[in-house]
Amino acid sequence: MYLGLFISPFVLVFAISVFFLVHSWLPRIASETSTTRVVSDLPLSGDLQMLSGRALIDALKPALEKADVPGEVGFVRHMVKEEKLIIPVTIPGRDTTVSISIASREATIVTRETGLAAALVTLHKSPGQHGPDIRMNWFYMRAWRWMADATVYLILFISVSGIYLWYVLRAERSVGLILLFAGALSFFGMAYALIH
Amino acid sequence: MPSSTEPIGPGQSPNVPRFRARFERWNRKLHFYAGLFLLFFIWLFAFSGLLLNHPTWTFAEFWTSREETNYQRDITVPSADVKGDLAQAHDILKQLKIEGEIMWTTTRTDPNQFDFQVRRPGHFFFIKADLAQKHVTVRQAEVNQWGVIKALHTFTGVQMDDPRNSRDWALTSLWAFSMDAVAAGLILMVLSSLCMWFDLPQKRVPGAVVLALGSLICGLFCVGLRWLF
Repeated sequence: MYLGLFISPFVLVFAISVFFLVHSWLPRIASETSTTRVVSDLPLSGDLQMLSGRALIDALKPALEKADVPGEVGFVRHMVKEEKLIIPVTIPGRDTTVSISIASREATIVTRETGLAAALVTLHKSPGQHGPDIRMNWFYMRAWRWMADATVYLILFISVSGIYLWYVLRAERSVGLILLFAGALSFFGMAYALIH
Repeated sequence: MPSSTEPIGPGQSPNVPRFRARFERWNRKLHFYAGLFLLFFIWLFAFSGLLLNHPTWTFAEFWTSREETNYQRDITVPSADVKGDLAQAHDILKQLKIEGEIMWTTTRTDPNQFDFQVRRPGHFFFIKADLAQKHVTVRQAEVNQWGVIKALHTFTGVQMDDPRNSRDWALTSLWAFSMDAVAAGLILMVLSSLCMWFDLPQKRVPGAVVLALGSLICGLFCVGLRWLF
């Protein structure tokens, strides 16, 4: 029961965000705000243009710290001609785009406060299946993955213990079996129709 | 005979109003019933969520071990009264006997060249139609059961950052509806479990501590990080 109580807020986060993801819709409780600022004299390493993936993100960390942009760094776009790096940085509920001009060592930082619903969606999709070599480059997102994993393991454990608790209740066995069978039929029927 | 799911214990007294006793009984029943009906859905989404959280788990790799086939077919060009990309794509798919969710991944620049993808869990179709030559080239990729499991988790037919894609296959809509139902069921189960916990006075304090701890940690991620940084 205590394990269930502990993970219940996490289950709510995953369940509520499903509605936003399935319907590609985000409620706008407060209006999105956006701010732009410029930071100069960034500490950029000389071999920045030769790097990619996790090495590039690690090399950019001092510059992002100087620019005071914490968060999970996404796919960095390198615009070779313009000698620019476009770096998306995410904190649940806040998207920041840092455009670094390598030549002038200057960054233009655009910060968008996207709100609670967007934060739930970000958390639901984190870390995600793409770019495993660059993901989880911020401690808090690594911690979120641990929590998300723990939520899954506890859900599996609680569901198995729930089955046992139901099974020992003789009066509920027949109704429960009917519902279990109906659920299995719906699930496997739908999955079969989708796959074949 | 009273149901075994009726609350028994120190929380129950003869003075408890009848509607409350009835609520408690049905709350327990609904918790059990919803959990049993949604059991396989919950297991699928939980397990596939774990797989999606760990893309480096090599045993669940699917794309590199896909089986691809390529073929060409002659088609009848959709008639003039078939208007719009979606209707034309449906017309071509009918001729190819392919079913699935249409994905728009490229912008159409040449009216005679028509490229799109069709997906359903386990199957990917990359279609290039040359309407001037009246033929299509199809690249079909089949993935293993891990690919199917992961696809079922994310198969909504829509993308948050791409308004061009909308659900156009009846089975995608049905699956999306089932995702909604599972989410609603989980919310119901969480709320009913909170009611059941609250009905146990001796467990209220330790339960409140655990619930507060969980809420605090979860709240840190949902809103706290924005305040801290």
